[in-house]
Amino acid sequence: MGLAAQRLAAMLRDPQFWVPVAVLVGGLLVLQWIR
Amino acid sequence: MDPLAPTPVDAARLRRLQVVGLACGFTAGAWLGAAEAPTKMVTLGISPVVISLMMVVGVFLARWSLPALLRGTAAIGDDVRQAPHLVVWAVLAGCLWAVANTLTIFAIKDIGLAIAFPLWNSNSLLGIVWGFVFFNELRGAGWARWAGVLGGALVMFAGAGLLATASSTQAPSGHAWRGVAAALAAGVLWGTMYIPYRKAYLTGMNPLSFVTFFSIGELAMMGAIAIGDRGGVVPLVAELGRARDVLFWLLCGGFVWVVGDLFQQYAAKYVGISRGIPLSNTNQLWGLAWGILVFGELKGAGTALPQVIAGSLCMAAGAVAIALATATAGEHRRWQDAARREGTRYGIDPAYTRAALSGEATGAPRGRRRWLDWSIMIAATAVFVGFAMVARVPELAVNGGALVGLVVASLALLGGSGYALWRVTGFN
Repeated sequence: MGLAAQRLAAMLRDPQFWVPVAVLVGGLLVLQWIR
Repeated sequence: MDPLAPTPVDAARLRRLQVVGLACGFTAGAWLGAAEAPTKMVTLGISPVVISLMMVVGVFLARWSLPALLRGTAAIGDDVRQAPHLVVWAVLAGCLWAVANTLTIFAIKDIGLAIAFPLWNSNSLLGIVWGFVFFNELRGAGWARWAGVLGGALVMFAGAGLLATASSTQAPSGHAWRGVAAALAAGVLWGTMYIPYRKAYLTGMNPLSFVTFFSIGELAMMGAIAIGDRGGVVPLVAELGRARDVLFWLLCGGFVWVVGDLFQQYAAKYVGISRGIPLSNTNQLWGLAWGILVFGELKGAGTALPQVIAGSLCMAAGAVAIALATATAGEHRRWQDAARREGTRYGIDPAYTRAALSGEATGAPRGRRRWLDWSIMIAATAVFVGFAMVARVPELAVNGGALVGLVVASLALLGGSGYALWRVTGFN
């Protein structure tokens, strides 16, 4: 596995990555709701 | 002794880095607050989403041209080669910013600035939580520093509430819960946006490189939101065309905002997000100073004056408390542990990570600017000049003396902090 693929896999396993992703999805849902 | 343990940063250098980081936080507040001034020139009834989009266009132009001017695109390329995964984090942070900014527009409409502003200013409290949980900030800092940072943030939060109440002009529209949800969501988004910031700077990416990619996420997300809000590309372009004589001022607002944001990035890097975010939140104080002193807002509102004074004192006291609670050598070692963890997880060269945390240059020495750097700067300047040529100066009563005073104060902070940043870190 190349270094790029390893980094991608590390990012997907990184809990710190999913916190902003979840918050972004939540924010878009709130935006959709209030519009 | 652990042979892989990071070498502690020299105490004198750590102190200099902390002072520079604090200066960047205060300068960020001044310039982020000043960014509101050009938008006051826009008196036409343009959609708030379109206003936000045009400011983001200004931000985009500035975020590509300033890094090209200060470091050159070659240095940005070096950063990307060292840690390419951080490009994804930067784009993600830009998306978070754009959604949060749009939510604030709706929050102000629904519940007014007085309630909305303190709610989204809670981002600094969330930043302290993320800094502690994810990045070892305030670990081993001692109760006095905890009290300084957390107490300072809470006092600033109270001050923000007082200032927002005093400066509120909008009336709630009757959708209170919707507005509260929007403001709180904006605070959560902005507070969480600092996770990618801190991640990038602990890993070693230069703030000037990070913001370049941040702006792609920001512009793409803001463009999508604006197209959705206006009902398609054609109506959006038509509205932009109708407002072309004021678009220049919005671009200027975006440009000024970027200057503040760049300092905010360096504050996040050198004093951490738990201290950097509250310090940049002093922008509310500067925004109010521009509103009251230059544009004559709150004229005749005698009852609001005590609130303005009390709120300003709270903001200033909170900021001073945070500024006095700088990281100790012990806490900085915990930051280095977090940086080492990032390096191991993503396979980053330890020398790159270590040098960045010490504010030192990494990679090859910086060369001359390339044709690409000059092309970016010329193109961005041309866009600004083009919009300036069709811009109209609205008739607006301003206090010239106060205007000059605030511009001089902002430039002095820019010059002083910029010089210190250059001397101590060389913009690393």
